[in-house]
Amino acid sequence: MSAPVPPRTGAASAPVVVYENVRKSFGTFTALNGVSFQVNKGEVVCLIGPSGSGKSTLLRCTNALEKHDGGRILFEGVPLPADEKSLHGVRRRMGMVFQSFELFPHMTALENVCEGPVTVLGMSKADAITRATALLKKVGLADKALNYPANLSGGQQQRVAIARALAMQPDMMLFDEPTSALDPETVGEVLNVMKQLAEEGMTMVVVTHEMAFARRVANWVVVFEAGAVIEQGPPTQIFDAPLVSRTKDFLSHLGWEG
Amino acid sequence: MTLDWSIVWDNRWLLLQGALLTIVLTVATMAVAIPGGILLAVMRMSSSRLLSSLSACYVELFRNIPLILIVYWAFYVLPLMPLGITLDAFTTGLVALCLNVSAYNSETFRAGLNSIRKGQVEAAVALGMTRSQALRRVILPQAWRRVLPVLASTWVSLFKDTSLVSVIAVGELAHTAMQIRSQSFRVLEMLTAMAVIYWMLGYPQAKLVDWIHRKFGVKE
Repeated sequence: MSAPVPPRTGAASAPVVVYENVRKSFGTFTALNGVSFQVNKGEVVCLIGPSGSGKSTLLRCTNALEKHDGGRILFEGVPLPADEKSLHGVRRRMGMVFQSFELFPHMTALENVCEGPVTVLGMSKADAITRATALLKKVGLADKALNYPANLSGGQQQRVAIARALAMQPDMMLFDEPTSALDPETVGEVLNVMKQLAEEGMTMVVVTHEMAFARRVANWVVVFEAGAVIEQGPPTQIFDAPLVSRTKDFLSHLGWEG
Repeated sequence: MTLDWSIVWDNRWLLLQGALLTIVLTVATMAVAIPGGILLAVMRMSSSRLLSSLSACYVELFRNIPLILIVYWAFYVLPLMPLGITLDAFTTGLVALCLNVSAYNSETFRAGLNSIRKGQVEAAVALGMTRSQALRRVILPQAWRRVLPVLASTWVSLFKDTSLVSVIAVGELAHTAMQIRSQSFRVLEMLTAMAVIYWMLGYPQAKLVDWIHRKFGVKE
């Protein structure tokens, strides 16, 4: 069913996550029907495809917010553990950014970013504040540290959410449609932060409808349809010369001209 | 018709005693009905079918019959039960109020916990928090802000509703004032005095509730 996988450029780096024939059903609905690909260290892998094609489900299976029913997901060579206790250890090494931000509304931007280091890592408040302040500066929000989420724009909230995830110093970042809930004028500021992260060598898996971003920033693009990977390859292949006609159909639906 | 307001002043210590008992009833009821409400809410949300339906039946029963009926029921029916429970009037009134307010509080707690988006727990868990850390750091601080204003409103209603236990001769403010009325036939004076006392005690509480709504109400 899948097109042949072309050789990976820069495949010298070790795989961080390997998906092997991953399956997931919700009742009678098959969300993932045997998905296989891998994410190498320092790579940006973009998952694209129509809504409901399983991209977000796969992302949520990666840190076990959803449990996959079949196949294997290996994180740094080890299958995801089944017990909740060991999963906490895995999750704190994967940062996650949600479509709807999910900042904690009863905490300031700074407190949101400190929360992981203090509660999960047991870091001292002072050290956490130092780390959080640096991260807020990195995402361009040093002056908003004491604002509550309700007093931040969508783009600002999402940048705080990225800082919150980075505060755990994760080995990789998962982005679940990070710009889909944003006003068009604030999409750019979030994408710029993500691009900067990519340039610093962060391993990233990004579910996105921002084709220009995927084209420019991704090292590898995986195209989903109906719970399966219909094509994967470097962005030049996917966007300029797709091997599968349905990839072309999907991109032309989005108005992508190449 | 001549009015004689001295009847109020002459009975000031009785009325004060009644007012104190009203306050004691309110505080005691809430002291039982808050943990009771939490227990019922936890039962309702538990995965056990039995506990969940027991709690649901309880809540739907006591929320949907008039409080005064529960008061009469506790007074006349409890002693007839095979257990042969005989309680004094105050305790009977307290039981009736607790049965009713626990049911309301349970719905308040349940709504408060359910109002927190699933994504909030996921965000906490994705950071590596355990379920109990997520509950403590993320869910409860938010749920509390939604629950507190509703509890405060319930409190103000309860303060006035305690007057219903006067029908079984609990000597709180309403009963005391009614007693003085029927002995002195000073109907207008005593009803007015009763209204003024309830208002003077209730108004600051209502203002406090408004303040709680403003301070803790969730703006989202």
